[in-house]
Amino acid sequence: MKILSFLSVLLLTCVLAIGGANSIGQLPPLAFLLDPNQGFWQNSYSEDQLAEEALSLENLQAPVEVVYDEQLIPHLYAENELDLYRAQGYITAKHRLWQMEFQTRAAAGRLAELVGPMALELDRMTRRKGLAYGAELGIDYLKKEDPATLALVEAYADGVNQYIGQLTDARLPIEYKILNYKPEAWSAYKSLLLLKYMSDMLVGDRDLEYSNLKKILGKAKLDRLYPEFPKENDPVIEKERIWEFQSLYPPKPDSLNYPEETLQLEALTQPIEGTGSNNWAVSGKKTKNGHPILANDPHLSLNLPSLWYSMQLSTPAHTVKGATLPGALGVISGFNHDIAWGVTNATKDTRDWFKITFQNASRKAYKYGQEWKATEFRIEEIKIKGQETYLDTVVYTHYGPVVYDKTFKSDRQDVNFALRWIVHQGNSNEQKTFLQLNKAKNHAAYTEALMTYAAPAQNFVFASKTGDIAMRIQGKFPLKWKEQGKFFMDGADPRMEWQGYIPFEHNPNTLNPERGFVSSANQHPVDSTYPYYTFDHSYEHYRNRRLNSKLAGMEQITVDDMKALQYDSYNLQAAESLPILLNLLTGNTNSSKDAQKYLSDLKAWDYFADPNKKGQTLYSIWFAETVESIWRELMDQGSPVVRPNNYQTIALMRDNPEDEVFDVHMAAGIQTAHYHVQVGFDSLLVAMKKWEADEGTYEWANYKKTTIQHLVPNFKAFSVPDVYTGGGPGILNATGNRHGASWRMVVELGPTVKAFGIYPGGQSGNPGSRFYANFIPIWASGDYVNFDLKKKEDQSGILFKTILN
Amino acid sequence: MKFLLFTLLCALLVVFLNLIAPFWVVMIAIASVATLVRPSGWAGFFGGGVGMGLAWLGQALLISMSTSSTLPDKMGILMGLGSGLAVFGLTTALGFILGGLSGLTGVLFRNLIQKKPSDVYLG
Repeated sequence: MKILSFLSVLLLTCVLAIGGANSIGQLPPLAFLLDPNQGFWQNSYSEDQLAEEALSLENLQAPVEVVYDEQLIPHLYAENELDLYRAQGYITAKHRLWQMEFQTRAAAGRLAELVGPMALELDRMTRRKGLAYGAELGIDYLKKEDPATLALVEAYADGVNQYIGQLTDARLPIEYKILNYKPEAWSAYKSLLLLKYMSDMLVGDRDLEYSNLKKILGKAKLDRLYPEFPKENDPVIEKERIWEFQSLYPPKPDSLNYPEETLQLEALTQPIEGTGSNNWAVSGKKTKNGHPILANDPHLSLNLPSLWYSMQLSTPAHTVKGATLPGALGVISGFNHDIAWGVTNATKDTRDWFKITFQNASRKAYKYGQEWKATEFRIEEIKIKGQETYLDTVVYTHYGPVVYDKTFKSDRQDVNFALRWIVHQGNSNEQKTFLQLNKAKNHAAYTEALMTYAAPAQNFVFASKTGDIAMRIQGKFPLKWKEQGKFFMDGADPRMEWQGYIPFEHNPNTLNPERGFVSSANQHPVDSTYPYYTFDHSYEHYRNRRLNSKLAGMEQITVDDMKALQYDSYNLQAAESLPILLNLLTGNTNSSKDAQKYLSDLKAWDYFADPNKKGQTLYSIWFAETVESIWRELMDQGSPVVRPNNYQTIALMRDNPEDEVFDVHMAAGIQTAHYHVQVGFDSLLVAMKKWEADEGTYEWANYKKTTIQHLVPNFKAFSVPDVYTGGGPGILNATGNRHGASWRMVVELGPTVKAFGIYPGGQSGNPGSRFYANFIPIWASGDYVNFDLKKKEDQSGILFKTILN
Repeated sequence: MKFLLFTLLCALLVVFLNLIAPFWVVMIAIASVATLVRPSGWAGFFGGGVGMGLAWLGQALLISMSTSSTLPDKMGILMGLGSGLAVFGLTTALGFILGGLSGLTGVLFRNLIQKKPSDVYLG
């Protein structure tokens, strides 16, 4: 009897102990999580409460001093670069380890390992796109061609790994505790993978949709509705630029046969609309103090922990400060004592698809001209939490991986498409570019630094203390004949191959243009005189024109003016299209009290998308519903297509309101733009009635609900919802619901560099820390924190210091 | 008296041992101490439970007061408990159950091994 009671209590105790230490289903390991000594309670401490005067970091040649300012921005003072990047790895891991690891797991297609089968399809897609394959080639390239950079990347990895080695259970980031896993070793490969992941976030293509559109609309109508250049093109490189080089523009081959079938593939994820960025530099002749000013604000997904982490990195030879990407070396968007630089995405179709004709079911060879070329097989082992490992065979051709095949996202057994993408080519060295930029002292060094940069293509803005301002669109761009890669191509026809690459010297660039400023906002890179084929579906048409018209009109510019311009909420699209909508609504049949109220809100609106504006809310719904109505029949015909952009839709409504595209075939009679504007307005009334009943006020911020979301969307308590701030897609302050200015920086390059920066997050990756989200209110109101370069001996405004040795 | 002594010992174990060891090591230690101190069955259970539960509550309160962190509230929402207060409650309750069962296990183990020698002693 005693044995029985002992054994049953022992069993119960053991069950609770083991159950408490392990996840059960989706539940976290409760006892481990709630233990105040090791569990989540320990993550309540902010970094300054845990400050250590000295920490052990092995393999250093000399001690590294880390000085945190009051915002927890670390300033690293090392004696040489190896020590500097080892310390950067260590310090970044100390504050952002979970995020670094999580992002590279996502990039490697390894999320199912953590969250189970729900992530399997996503992992398969990531792997089929070949990001990991690209990063492997990148490491091979560094081994062969640039061991010096590799040594630095490995020092960084060593720093991260030493931190992981010292990590106690108590200090483990909270996400590991909840999801019940442990960090694994970092490596140089992961740093490169992270940079490939940036390409994946920023690069899209619409080849599938355009192929279908060509078939549905015919070529002539496609060209009319989707022109390659807009009427009012205001490109990145000023129109006045004359191209003096000898172009290698290849002629278009005659009588090409494109794959003919309408395609029902599931499109790859695209960069979300509104993902984009602004950067510009104004020359000293336009500024009050006579010094160039540079500004940069990349718009990305708004996440916590933030994508960016601020740092100053110093050796006796250089000092650089700005935004780093946890996992990558150096500063990505920043400045030093001599220059400043910034990045925006240089949109251009660099991802193309080739139809593959296999010889037989074994898929060991595919047709290429008159011959059969051999394939290679890459087996992707995808581990799944709680299930057996999934093996995915991906066939590689000389074009790249066959993403779509009989096993993946295709409704047809005979459809095989290979992806050709710069990311799969090893001979690029983006990491070196940033390391060189960090140390660059002038325009020549900046240009040289960009020469090893391939992808994702960026508009690199530049300004220097010596008064230069410049812009260079840098990336490895395939040399294409006209319209090459706009549609799916036939991989069996060698004439469809990319014709080589545009020489880097021919990439569009400008130095000290007459107009006194350079700028970019993801619009067309050039005007139609640039002697190479330039195409993308997603060029910006509004932010760029607003930015350039403001910059052109400004004189005596101050840093505050540039801050205000980053926060500018003028909705140019609304200014150009709301009068058209109102005009087309004449004869509005709805005269209800609500309709009159909304119309008077709209008429009184000044086109600024400030957080308290109601007009912006009403316009955004009305316009979206109108566009939805106009293109409904086109979008609903069954295969994936993409709508004409807003700029073209507005032009059609303005110039040809009775165009045949407005006619709805399913409805009786003939419809014009009037019809759709009325449908849009009626939908607005329905939507607003519901909104006012459910949510009350329809001021813009309340409607937009800007949310800075934790990287695990389920962890809602770690997100910051309903941030009161203005702006929106297509507006200079591009802050929408989930996307927007992820980092803002303004730098004045006078004798002493003055700099300001902010991002919607905080320096700590720990949701329990007071530095986790403390930048958000500052960011939301358009303010900044001081980012001046700090000397080692400067003792003011210090939170705490740590010596690494 | 033994109950108070045992409770105090359990709380001290949490405070010192739990700093460097995970909770299940503390559980084994509580069971071992119960074997040595020999409280009665109820005293073993409540002593272990109150010792570990109160120690965990005290530690959680101390951390919370010294950091003013909003993390307990966030965890309350994340775990579907609603508030930080419930997280304190759950922490205490879990500490109580784990400590109590450890104490009881120790007592019952002591009873088990004690039986034979006491028979021998009584002849």
